[in-house]
Amino acid sequence: MRQILSLTVVLLRAFSRDFAAIFFTVVLPLMFMLIFGALNLGALGHVNVGMVDQAGNQASSAFVDALRGIDTLSITVGEEAAERARLLKSDRDLVVVIPADFRIAPASPGSAVPTLVVYENQGRAQQAAVGEAILTQLIDRASFAVTRTAPAVAMRREEVSVRKLGYLDFLVPGIIGLNVMQLAIFGVAFGLVSQKQRGVLRRIMATPLRPRNFLAAHVLMRLLLAVLQVAILLGVAVVVFKLQIVGSIFDIFVLVTLGSILFLTFGFAIAGWAKTENQVPPVANLITLPMFFLSGTFFSRDAIPAPFREVTGYLPLTFLNDALRDVSTQGATLLDVRMQVLGLAAWAIAGFILAVRLFRLD
Amino acid sequence: MHPIVSVEDLSKRYGQLEAVRGISFEVTAGEIFGLLGPNGAGKTTTVEILEGLRRADGGSARVAGIDVGRDPEGTKRRIGVQLQSSAFMEHLTARETVELFALCYEVRADAMALLRSVGLEDRASARQEKLSGGQRQRLSIATALVNKPQVLFLDEPTTGLDPQARRNLWDLVRAIRANGTTVFLTTHYMDEAEVLCDRVAIMDQGLILAMAPPSELIAGLLGRGFAKPVIQQQANLEDVFLDLTGHDLRDE
Repeated sequence: MRQILSLTVVLLRAFSRDFAAIFFTVVLPLMFMLIFGALNLGALGHVNVGMVDQAGNQASSAFVDALRGIDTLSITVGEEAAERARLLKSDRDLVVVIPADFRIAPASPGSAVPTLVVYENQGRAQQAAVGEAILTQLIDRASFAVTRTAPAVAMRREEVSVRKLGYLDFLVPGIIGLNVMQLAIFGVAFGLVSQKQRGVLRRIMATPLRPRNFLAAHVLMRLLLAVLQVAILLGVAVVVFKLQIVGSIFDIFVLVTLGSILFLTFGFAIAGWAKTENQVPPVANLITLPMFFLSGTFFSRDAIPAPFREVTGYLPLTFLNDALRDVSTQGATLLDVRMQVLGLAAWAIAGFILAVRLFRLD
Repeated sequence: MHPIVSVEDLSKRYGQLEAVRGISFEVTAGEIFGLLGPNGAGKTTTVEILEGLRRADGGSARVAGIDVGRDPEGTKRRIGVQLQSSAFMEHLTARETVELFALCYEVRADAMALLRSVGLEDRASARQEKLSGGQRQRLSIATALVNKPQVLFLDEPTTGLDPQARRNLWDLVRAIRANGTTVFLTTHYMDEAEVLCDRVAIMDQGLILAMAPPSELIAGLLGRGFAKPVIQQQANLEDVFLDLTGHDLRDE
């Protein structure tokens, strides 16, 4: 055991001087997170509203000002033709035309009420719908103000404690799962195959060191690196992106360790089979690339067509991502995600059998 | 003098190829023994069987009193090896590399003393990959000595070295033998075998063709009436090269 620990320290020391390896382990995942975090793919963004004010009276400018006061809306005032042209170019989500007879006054019997014409961008239906809802709300409020009638039905808003989760809260667990996979598979496969190819392993196997102790030190080193890497990623996400981790951090690290063990078996299987470094990338990418896109790392698996989505539910990275996300965003416990844990364990056993069959040190 | 390596009827085949075809020989404790032969003669296979890295198909080999086939790990504990075309872990210094091997053998070793004994004391904190070819061979020998081996196996130790580095390595091998370690080396440089080895075995196509001290083998050949077609030169090109460039070891 002491030999394994000392060897682990030697391996970590060599790793700490390997700038390329550090880049792939720490810098690249951080860049991933920062770039995707900055893109904020999940956000609705602003609703761009073009206002055409044909009334030009006090009531209409008060109405525009009220709309300006709403954060979600980005208001521009312009001519009708120009604004509608911008709508066609998708520079606007909505164009609202305020008619010349616009006023906020009690409707007199027999006369028509002023009618707002709203053009909406079908390509941005979600934004258009949000904009229209705000518009309707504002009109209602203005109407109540002048008619001085209380609304027939009142509504009281109860804040339900649904956590406001942003895209980043969704993204970070996926990034962690992805990096656990990449680090374990590519780290081990490249590291060991290069040592095999250069004859480092042959020399070490000429000493009485037992192969299993040597491999145990490699596994231990990779597990420590994975925990360290995840700690850095989580730390940056919490500080920079105000990531909310609802569940237990300890559970996250348990899942990270289990996931690492699973993907390490894949890494050792590749390292055991490959004789030269050139053989590593095709096989490693063949295994990791589908999961890169299909395991719900950057976007929800809901985007995948239904029959195919079913299959992607059984991918090892899907189990890891789902479990990490449930713990991180919903506060699930390990017991709650036991199906995913079982899935990870099943893949780990399969990977272990494969690695044992394929592994050769020379 | 008792044999420290004894090989009896050893054989090894790779598919159709019979790499080693029933060879027998003994190495006496304290000698420098050379296994000579052209590439593909079976030298490296033989050495790797003795080092416990490969299993023989037939015959037996005892090294330092241990049956290699039965206890390869015990054999490895008692010998030191320098392999052909092997390398060290990257990003470690010379000193850390020696310490890594001490860890592999589970022995305490004075890494600095070992580096001093191979003349690498001042390169102790240099990264292993920054060493020159000759320095790396000497580092390799330092790692092979961490367990105070009874037999040191050197597989083509001077291949690729310049004349100065070769001579420096020969001195090192003699010093190791003077400390009581038996040295078993392979080479395909005949001049190296002639100046360094007490006894040599000449191997080809998996068989040992002759085994004796170099001087006896030469005397035997001359006794059979062999004469070189030209008069023996009193110096050769290597002597000229060394005369011009000196014997001092270069740090590349």
